[in-house]
Parts: sequence; structure tokens; C-alpha cells
Amino acid sequence: MRTVPVPSWWGVGLSLVLVAVALAVAVRAHLDNARDIGLAALRAAVQLVAVGALLKVLFQHTGLPGSLAWVVAMVVIAGRVAAGRGRGLPGATSTATFAIAVGVVATLGVLVGAGIISTKPFVVVPVGGMVVSGSMQSASMVLARLRDEMASSRRQVEARLALGMTGADAFAPHRRTALRTALNPAIDQTKVVGLISLPGAMTGLIIAGVSPLLAIRYQIVVMYMLLGAYAIAGVVAALVTQRRVFDDAERLLPLVASAPGRRRGRMGT
Amino acid sequence: MALFELSGVTVTRPRGSEHSHPLTGVSTTIDGERCTAVVGPSGAGKSTLLRLLDRLEEPSHGEVRYKGEPLRSYEVTELRRRVGFVQQLPVLLGVTVREDVRTARADADVEALLERVGLRADFADRFTAELSGGEGQRVCLARALSVEPEVLLLDEPTSALDRKAAQQVEAVIRGLVAGGMAAVIVTHDLAQAERLADDVIVVVEGQVIESGPSYGVLGAPQDERTKLFLGRT
Repeated sequence: MRTVPVPSWWGVGLSLVLVAVALAVAVRAHLDNARDIGLAALRAAVQLVAVGALLKVLFQHTGLPGSLAWVVAMVVIAGRVAAGRGRGLPGATSTATFAIAVGVVATLGVLVGAGIISTKPFVVVPVGGMVVSGSMQSASMVLARLRDEMASSRRQVEARLALGMTGADAFAPHRRTALRTALNPAIDQTKVVGLISLPGAMTGLIIAGVSPLLAIRYQIVVMYMLLGAYAIAGVVAALVTQRRVFDDAERLLPLVASAPGRRRGRMGT
Repeated sequence: MALFELSGVTVTRPRGSEHSHPLTGVSTTIDGERCTAVVGPSGAGKSTLLRLLDRLEEPSHGEVRYKGEPLRSYEVTELRRRVGFVQQLPVLLGVTVREDVRTARADADVEALLERVGLRADFADRFTAELSGGEGQRVCLARALSVEPEVLLLDEPTSALDRKAAQQVEAVIRGLVAGGMAAVIVTHDLAQAERLADDVIVVVEGQVIESGPSYGVLGAPQDERTKLFLGRT
């Protein structure tokens, strides 16, 4: 295999010119966010250096157990991020974390179990990252939408409950709306892949010198995997939330008020 | 036997909405085959009392009985089919009237139900978005009737309607009660209570302060707070 053309540290430093351009635009246009741009660029560099160093150790010394521990850590962080979108829903953090975990276990389990992808750390960690990210986006959108539905459609839900419908039946139209909303981006992304975007896994393999015809095989697996992860995480998030927003008397619970000054659960990337 | 009996019922934190208000130590009875009006000033807890009867609210203390049995002894979905509930504003759940009336029962005879609420059969295929407030509220009544309830709970069902629409809805309620159905109606409109109700329950600041036949409670109130409320409105 040919040597992968990686930028030198000098090249990385030189790319700071582009950050300087962004800063100049922000200052000149009085956008009042130059500090945020600078901090974001610095934070990205520090985070990526740290992650790169950690992954190097992981790939060389820990094997599959270390990779799985890494994936678990990603799931926990993703759960907190997704829960931030569902703030106000009872048990949003555990719901999001569980939904993402189920999405990851189901899709990675199938891929690894069927021997479609390798169990090498340098495969499990990045593929796991993609699945966690997709599951997180899906859980996040489902929770946000369900929270909005609970706030805006309480009277509709109560009207159905008053007809003797169960909470699950009364909430079904709102659950369907939330799931459709969450799945649409994944469906759209799958439809246009390769036409208006060259996705990350395929791009990475091509840069690494793999034939495009081989790279697409990986990308097809990735797209199907993401579609599965989106669907599974979204459905699990919706079903668990639905169980938690009704009490034993089939009454729709109120949204939980956020405590003042409480951490929001959203984390930067 | 009373239809509903409330014994020492307290609701400290109603869950319905920001408009629900607490109740303290409420004891009263509601009889069947007649119309009972729950009246009182805004924020008195009238809607909370009504919602208790359908388990849309739960008491923190005390007990509510339906036909002599604790509400909690009924399967909640079964209870709600037997005790219908109509909200203050028309909440329409289907794209068409037919779809709306069949929300809970796919085999409901839509035309017959519309006739019971004074709407023509050809309303069945109208879009709910095109209905007036009064028509919408009557469709909500038809939907509530689709599960064949024994009693109807009505939470200020005409307060958002114009006078003519309110009269039409009142006529429907009067007809249902005349047909043997029990109804409990929350209203802040004393004239409406007089027109519709056989019995009246007066709720002030989360407590039932007077109850009995409407001619007695509204015509010759005994409690000073009832007199004050009637005089003020």
C-alpha cells in the first residue's frame, strides 16, 4: 500500500491561517464571536491531539476490551448530549443512554457477529464512533420532538385518554411524528450518498489509497449500519419515553422543570 | 345510590395544567340521571373536581367512589369509557369528522352519533378544520358518546362559544339528560347552571361550601360565601 499523504505539523500550523481569516471576518463584521471562534479552534486541536494519543495507546496495547471500553465511554457522553435536547422529559439521560446503547449493541453486534467488520481496535473504535454518533442524533431528535409534543399537544392526548384509550394509544400519533422527524435526515442522507456528498469512511479510505470500488463496499455497510442505528435508537427512545410520561392511572405527567443553574447536559464537540 | 361520592378529598398539586387549582377536604355526592352543575369563581378548583371523577387528577388524600366502588377499583380505561369527558375548547383529533368520531371506536355509527348532537349526517365527511367552534364542540360530544358512556363530564363546554353556538350545545346536553344520561357540568355562568342543572355544587377556594337542588342553592343560598359569590356575578 502506498504511503498515506498526511499533512506535516508545519502544514497543520499553516492551516491556522484559515482560522485567522475566520477571526478577521468576525472582527470586521462586528459579529462579537471572535473569542468563540478562537476558543473552538484551540479546543478542537487540544481534543484531537489528546484523542489521537489515546487511540494510539488503545490500538497498540489494549485490544478489543479497550476498544469496547472506549465505545462505552462514547455512549455515556452521547447519552448526556442527547438528553440535553429532551430536557424536561422524566429520566431523559437514562432514556437517551439506553436508546443509544441498544442502537450500538444491535448494529455493531450484527456487523461483528456476522464477520462483516473486523474486531481489530482500529476498526471497532471508528465504526463504533459512527454508530454512536448516528444513534445520538436520532435519540436526540426523538426526545426533542416528544418534549415539544408533550408541551403543545397535552389537550389532544387527554382527549384520547378520556375516551378510555391507553397512554400508548393516546400518544401513538405523537410518537409516530417524532420518529418520522428523527428518521428523515438518515433516509435523505442514504438517498443522496455519493451524489452530493462523499461520506467520511469512503473519503478516508480513498485518501489512504484504497481503490474507490473497494471503499464503496465499506461505505455501503456504514450507510446501512447508520440507518439501522437511527431506527433502533429512535424507536427505543420513543418507547421508553412513552412509558415514562404516563403514570399508573394513564395520566400524562407534566414536563419536569429544570433546576436553576443545573447543568444542561449539552457538551461541546 | 349516589353516582359519585367524594369523601375528604384533597388535591394538593393538580397535574392537569397551569389552570388547575387545588382542593381541600372536599366531601360531596353527585346523583345519577340528572344534571349537576359545579359553579364557583375562577380558580376555585371546579375543573380539578371534575377531572377527579375521570381520574385525570388523583387525590392526595380522601377517596372518590363511583356507583359505590372506589374509582381505583375500576380499570382506568374502562372507567373512562363509562365516564365521558368533554374539554372546554373543542379538541378535534381527526382530519374529517368521521375520522374524529371514530377515534376510539372504528365501528362507531357516525351518522347516528351526529344526529344525537344535532348535526346533519352529511357533516361526517366535512374537514374538522372547517368547523365552527360550536360545530367542533358538538363533534367532540359525538366522539365522547361513541364509547357509550353512562355519564358525561363537561368542563365549561360553552365558555369559548358565541351565544348561538352555546345555546345549541346546551340543547344537546339538555336532550342527553332528558334521555336518561347523567351529566356534570362545570360552569361559571350561573344563568346556564339555572337553565341546565337539577343540582348545584358551589366551590370556593378549593372547598365545597354548599350543594343541593339548584332552586335551593341558587334561589335561597344558606352560606355567606355562596351569597357573596352569587351577588358578585
